[in-house]
Amino acid sequence: MLFDLELMTPFWEWFTTVGLLNGVLLIAALSAIGFAVCYIVAVYLYGPSEGFYVIAEVISKFFRDDLPKTSFRRIAAFARLAFQEAIRRKVLAVFAVFVVGLMFAGWYLNPGADDPAKLYISFVMTSISYMMMMLGLFLSSFSLPADIKNRTIYTIVTKPVRPTEIVLGRILGFTLVGTLLLVVMGIVSFIFVSRGIVHYHEMEPMVANARKGISTYDARHSHTVTFSEDGTGVTDEVKSHKHTVSVREVDGKKVYEFGPPEGSLQARIPVFGKLDFTGRDGSKGDGINVGYEDTRRKYIDGASLSSAIWTFDDVAESRFGENLNVEMTITAYRTFKGDIVTGVRGSLILRSPDGKVESERIPFIVKEYQLDRIVVPSKLKGFRDGQPQELNLYQDLVQAGQLQVIIRCNDRSQYFGMAPPDLYLRAGDAPFLWNFFKGFLFIWFQMVIVICFGVMFSTFLTGPVAMIATVSVIALGFFGSIASGSLSGEIVGGGPIQALIRTVTQQSPTLPIEVGAEWLAEGIRFVDQGILGLLTVLTNALPNFPTLISTADFVAHGINLFEGLVIRHSAVTFGYLCLTTIISYFFLKTREFAA
Amino acid sequence: MALKLETAAPKPTPKPVEPVIETRSLGKIYRDFWGRKKVYALKSLDIEVRQGEIFGLLGPNGSGKSTTIKLILGLLFPTSGRAFVFGKDSTDVSKNERVGYLPEESYLYKFLNAEETLDFYGRLFEMPADIRRARTERLIKMVGLERSRRRQLREYSKGMTRRIGLAQALINEPDLLVLDEPTTGLDPLGSKDMKDLILKLRDEGKTILLCSHQLADVQDVCDRIAILHQGELKELGRVDSLLKVRDVTEVHAKGLSDQAKLEIQELIKRHGGEVLSVDNPTTTMEELFLDIVRQSEDRPGHRSGG
Repeated sequence: MLFDLELMTPFWEWFTTVGLLNGVLLIAALSAIGFAVCYIVAVYLYGPSEGFYVIAEVISKFFRDDLPKTSFRRIAAFARLAFQEAIRRKVLAVFAVFVVGLMFAGWYLNPGADDPAKLYISFVMTSISYMMMMLGLFLSSFSLPADIKNRTIYTIVTKPVRPTEIVLGRILGFTLVGTLLLVVMGIVSFIFVSRGIVHYHEMEPMVANARKGISTYDARHSHTVTFSEDGTGVTDEVKSHKHTVSVREVDGKKVYEFGPPEGSLQARIPVFGKLDFTGRDGSKGDGINVGYEDTRRKYIDGASLSSAIWTFDDVAESRFGENLNVEMTITAYRTFKGDIVTGVRGSLILRSPDGKVESERIPFIVKEYQLDRIVVPSKLKGFRDGQPQELNLYQDLVQAGQLQVIIRCNDRSQYFGMAPPDLYLRAGDAPFLWNFFKGFLFIWFQMVIVICFGVMFSTFLTGPVAMIATVSVIALGFFGSIASGSLSGEIVGGGPIQALIRTVTQQSPTLPIEVGAEWLAEGIRFVDQGILGLLTVLTNALPNFPTLISTADFVAHGINLFEGLVIRHSAVTFGYLCLTTIISYFFLKTREFAA
Repeated sequence: MALKLETAAPKPTPKPVEPVIETRSLGKIYRDFWGRKKVYALKSLDIEVRQGEIFGLLGPNGSGKSTTIKLILGLLFPTSGRAFVFGKDSTDVSKNERVGYLPEESYLYKFLNAEETLDFYGRLFEMPADIRRARTERLIKMVGLERSRRRQLREYSKGMTRRIGLAQALINEPDLLVLDEPTTGLDPLGSKDMKDLILKLRDEGKTILLCSHQLADVQDVCDRIAILHQGELKELGRVDSLLKVRDVTEVHAKGLSDQAKLEIQELIKRHGGEVLSVDNPTTTMEELFLDIVRQSEDRPGHRSGG
């Protein structure tokens, strides 16, 4: 899995560079569009000056009267009603569907998978996140239209009730229903995951007092057990876990007891660095492009001076512990097959940023598609100015908090591929339960955003249409990256007009289009850029569901969800809440309920 | 008339009373989606409803009664003119603090029961819990729903729905009560109860605006009426003076022989009068029905009359 390092940006840095700007742009764009549309309608109905006055009145009413007088008690009354409605309309049946789903899933999820915990976690989190989105969608888009259709709204708006309260009350109520379900589902799925991976082994018959033995084949794998002096044993790591083995003497016979699997449910805290490449001759380079293997990974040549150099900041013993854990997922690109079982060899070197002190080569064999773990001891052999020396990791190699990690490929004509997130230093672990909780927090954010949009659309659309509109927002959020990708040229082929011409005339997307005249082609490109620019702005405004959903991968892969990301998405969710509430307010305020 | 008004209002504030509802050339045109004019629902209506009176809007279906009420409540926005309630614009939310509204049909949440319904609407007025509970209790008793207080409204009959609708309108003890067709869907007994209640509320000092096409209702309870037809105001005034026919005299007598009747006719002719009709009076169907029901309640199991 390749993490998006952008997600690791600290909150304030994100907020000041991206978040605030996007928010302000979005508010400005929406206000301008909203005002323009309303003014056109108002001019049609009341004439130019009267129309302006009417709009100004509505806007000033919001800030002067309705917003300050919005009462939390009435919001709570609506929330309570929404909650009662959801419960009495038997929304909790969703939960039953979930439990039944889990029961069947238990049959079909393969316990022999490489990492069963990963499989289980991503199954429960993905299924819950889609279920909660559906729930939010149905709850939010049908409630208000039903009230308007049944005219129940007559008895509401003739009470001292403000539109903000109607909207916020609903959002709050449905969120409560969703939260309740989510909490229960979270608990059930935590039990499902943690129980699902539990298994035990026994010892195969072994030579008396041997230091090594083999466990029985259970849960589709077996371990090699190594016993230490004091008699306790530890297994090797298979399928991302190991067991501890204790030995007791019963009636003069040794009885081996395996503990539960350890290490399946983790939340590693990664520290990422900056990646640079050097070319074959050791000079600065960009890494080799081996073709359409992976768009983000660059490659280095084997048995040459070409290397990948990660530079890390703030490296200190207090942060990483005595031994430095380097974890990486390096891909190998083979130009010949050779011995496929052996794997491609590489070496890792730690170096000080000024290049004067470096460690000995630490050799490794790339485990493709799996995590390679290298533990670097604090005392190691190395070189200072080319002279062999005993080095201390934190005192000699780390300078001003910085440390470089160099990866080289040792096999001629083979290549290593890597992107910045492929190698990280592990700064200990966070509690898995906390990480699991954070993962569910992201599902909650998703649900709240869906509810906000559903309620917003339901203030001016009928139920089914509001639902389709909300689904469209979610779907567009998924495809938003296509517009920005086309604009930046990352996705070849140009914008919609060019794409249409290419489709019809069967022209290659990688070549400039030919339409007979260069000025025409230039014009088409210009219009396309305009369309794509607009689309990019609009899609930036849409909730980023792919990111939200991808957080399940963090939990599943045992990577701690960065707190800054949690804060960022709380801010984004809060932003959407405010935005949709304000838009809903204006739709409700200008709506004739009895029309 | 002004004198009558002051005696009817028990509140000791005999200040020059500002109208509770005032409409100034209020008009409404219904438009289609494209803004094209469809129907002139109301044309330039000017009425005033004063404190403590029962004001009736009367007219056939489609005459603009409901439109007027919805404009006054802010459920519709006027196309021309303005409506004021307690001196505030009809679209002002804060006027609703003192208004109770019973819609044409009681549009309530069907998944709530009577208690929860009243509790919910009470919460919308930010009432403290104890007041909410006391009023819920009192109103349920008042509209006679004690036995069905825990049943969801989806199981209610039309009459019961109407009652809980009324209770809902009274939850904030409003100064102005707006009733849209208050007696539709009610049996004569319920209709009678409703009318008695309206009169009682008036006596408590509340102002009531109602609309109806059932003439009998209007005649029974309203102090003043406005008759609307095709969106225009046709008549406005006190019910008793509108209905009084000045040159006709009514004499009710009992136990007269045919001879005596003839003599009376002779007497009228002698004084230059004209006899229009001489008849035994019939009772109204409503009175007959109420009579029968009352008797049956007194003597259950018997067929009335005899």
